[in-house]
Amino acid sequence: MNTLWIVVIAVIVIYVAYNYYARRIDRSVIQTDVKRATPATMYMDGVDFMPTSKNVLYGYHFKSIAAAGPIVGVITAANIWGWFPSLLWLVIGVSFIGWVSDYSAIMVAVRNDGNSLSAISHKLIAPRTRTILFVFIFFYLMLLAGAFVGILAAILSARPDVPLGIIMLALMGLLAGQMMYRWKMDLIVVTGIVVAVTLAAMAVGPMGQHKDANGALVQGPVGRAIAGLNATVDKISDKQPLISIVDPTNSDPRVPVPGKDGKRPTTSAYDAATGLVKTLPNYLLWMLFLFVFSYMGANMPIWRFAQPVNYIGFWVMLITIVLSAIGALVAPLTGVVDSAGNTIGAFALAAVKNLGFAWPQAGAAWQPLWPMLFVTIACGAISGWHALVGSVGTARQLEYETDGLPVGAGSMFGEYTLALLSLMAVSIAGAGGGGGRFAAGVGKLIYAGTFTVIPEVFGTALGFGAFVMIVLTVTQLVFRVMRVTLTEWVGETIPLVRNMHVSSIISMLLTMALVLTGTWVYLWQMFGASNQLMAALSLLVVSVWLKSEKRNPSYALYPMLFMYFTTLFATIVTARNLYVTIAANPKMSGLPVAGAWAMIVVAALLLVAAIVIGWDGLKAYRRYSATPAVPAPAAPVHA
Amino acid sequence: MTDKKLERPGGFKGLWSGFKETIYGMSAHDMSRAALRTRASMEHLFILITMGDMLGIPILPPYYSLRLLPYVVPQIATWKRRMLREKDVSDAMF
Repeated sequence: MNTLWIVVIAVIVIYVAYNYYARRIDRSVIQTDVKRATPATMYMDGVDFMPTSKNVLYGYHFKSIAAAGPIVGVITAANIWGWFPSLLWLVIGVSFIGWVSDYSAIMVAVRNDGNSLSAISHKLIAPRTRTILFVFIFFYLMLLAGAFVGILAAILSARPDVPLGIIMLALMGLLAGQMMYRWKMDLIVVTGIVVAVTLAAMAVGPMGQHKDANGALVQGPVGRAIAGLNATVDKISDKQPLISIVDPTNSDPRVPVPGKDGKRPTTSAYDAATGLVKTLPNYLLWMLFLFVFSYMGANMPIWRFAQPVNYIGFWVMLITIVLSAIGALVAPLTGVVDSAGNTIGAFALAAVKNLGFAWPQAGAAWQPLWPMLFVTIACGAISGWHALVGSVGTARQLEYETDGLPVGAGSMFGEYTLALLSLMAVSIAGAGGGGGRFAAGVGKLIYAGTFTVIPEVFGTALGFGAFVMIVLTVTQLVFRVMRVTLTEWVGETIPLVRNMHVSSIISMLLTMALVLTGTWVYLWQMFGASNQLMAALSLLVVSVWLKSEKRNPSYALYPMLFMYFTTLFATIVTARNLYVTIAANPKMSGLPVAGAWAMIVVAALLLVAAIVIGWDGLKAYRRYSATPAVPAPAAPVHA
Repeated sequence: MTDKKLERPGGFKGLWSGFKETIYGMSAHDMSRAALRTRASMEHLFILITMGDMLGIPILPPYYSLRLLPYVVPQIATWKRRMLREKDVSDAMF
């Protein structure tokens, strides 16, 4: 297998699924009508409800949904089960479930006066559904923030060539906000300056890097300085770990890749003899750096920091994606080879690893392909987050009903191609794990995509930097939303939480507790399960709505049932893994055990919430099934 | 509004325009939405201050409200719509 075949598969899947399935549903079930007035035209207020060109809206929706999810999920899953199951799930998921969820959430909101999914579920299913959804969203955000902060802190701690670019991103974000909104400078000039400086800082990080006679990586001046800082900080605890955890799947970025002898070496953050992953003070330092960054993003005026940072991150990511995509296309055609003499584009990762269906030994984690793959890869195949964005952000800007398909389904297929790009990057890299493997693959693709102009080492640094940037830009927004959600949830009963600094700090402390005491892969899988449950619940709302409208709900109902039961089971499996490998593990004690119990409680809460919503949904579905069809009133049309 | 979709340029011009719009949508559309939201909040505040006495919140003497009324009238419909629309957490998210 090589990258060119993946490009061919991507094109065929998108063409067939979009033209022969999505269009058919749009025509025969939803029956979109260009003459029917949309909420954007009926309730135009110049702000939220605003008719917008479908091209602009496509860009907006794609940017809102395609963040770190399709990258992190795919690289984690490919490392656990191999690239083939991941590819299969991406193809099947996007074709039959992913676009259905995005498109339908938008169309349900469009047909319900632009109301959000929670408001529609309040009306169609039951009043308590809305309250449960709020709680659901808060824990979902907390798990997401925990998973992202965990992986970022590990990368910043392990890769001293990366932090300079991220520090520069923060500085350039502040500068860009000042230049755009205070000095009123031209946007193109501002973009040129801040993106160029950020890219330059990312390139300076790995400058001077080389490998010694033993093949070990020797850092350049910047890398040495950051590594020196890390070593100084680690002296606080005399290089002893503050906390040690186990990761049965070895997905934690701090776990080193096996050497030529197949064994994992012992590093400052990993003990090969015991398998313990060590949390050193420098990890804590980078975690605090991430919290400060996120705090600025969550509490400063949005134009001052969060938006400009996202804007710069977007351009860095776009450059990385475009160069990598060109590389994926041309590498097999040109036969370009990497620094080790291997052809770029050929897959090095195993197609299928252990599918994990066998019951594990006592005390070991269980990672069966079903259901765990389906929650490990969320974005790229299907994601609940998309339904939230679609129903609130996108649906209220849709100018014509017929734009719903290219915007909703089109963006989902766009995100699927991003996930495939991540899969290609992680599959062609010869060594490395998680983010490291992804960055190494991106480095090779960029080397091939620029016809060997950009060296692999800079391509890899760009891959790392782009990865950290995209995750970090999402993380700061997650904390912003978390504080709003927390204020809405408990602000009435605890007035102190209405203070944005207090709600931000509470959100960050909860996240910090999860990161320090949790195992990264469980955090990610728990987030994935909550995300996919949200997708299933949005499909439930769609199915109930279709039933209430006396339309055929099959295209949403069957995906909903699959996702609902898959994710419920995945939540139970994750809780079981947490209990067996950490909570009841005699080698574990103290904070990790407390963290494992906390996550088990969160899993139980999510499970109960999902069962309650599912039960209410079933009752509503039956209610609408028993109601005779009522002729629909004439739809308002464009004046 | 018409019952027909707006005519868009075809060929290369159309492709280029579509590409530009998509890049704008990805990079800057959310920034302009946030700016519009800020402006809308300021306008709501302005309407509340100037027309408050009609709502039972006497902030400005009615004499000035009356003088400002013609300028505020075009905003009242959308102001009312935004004020009365049911909102939840997800509205604050996107």
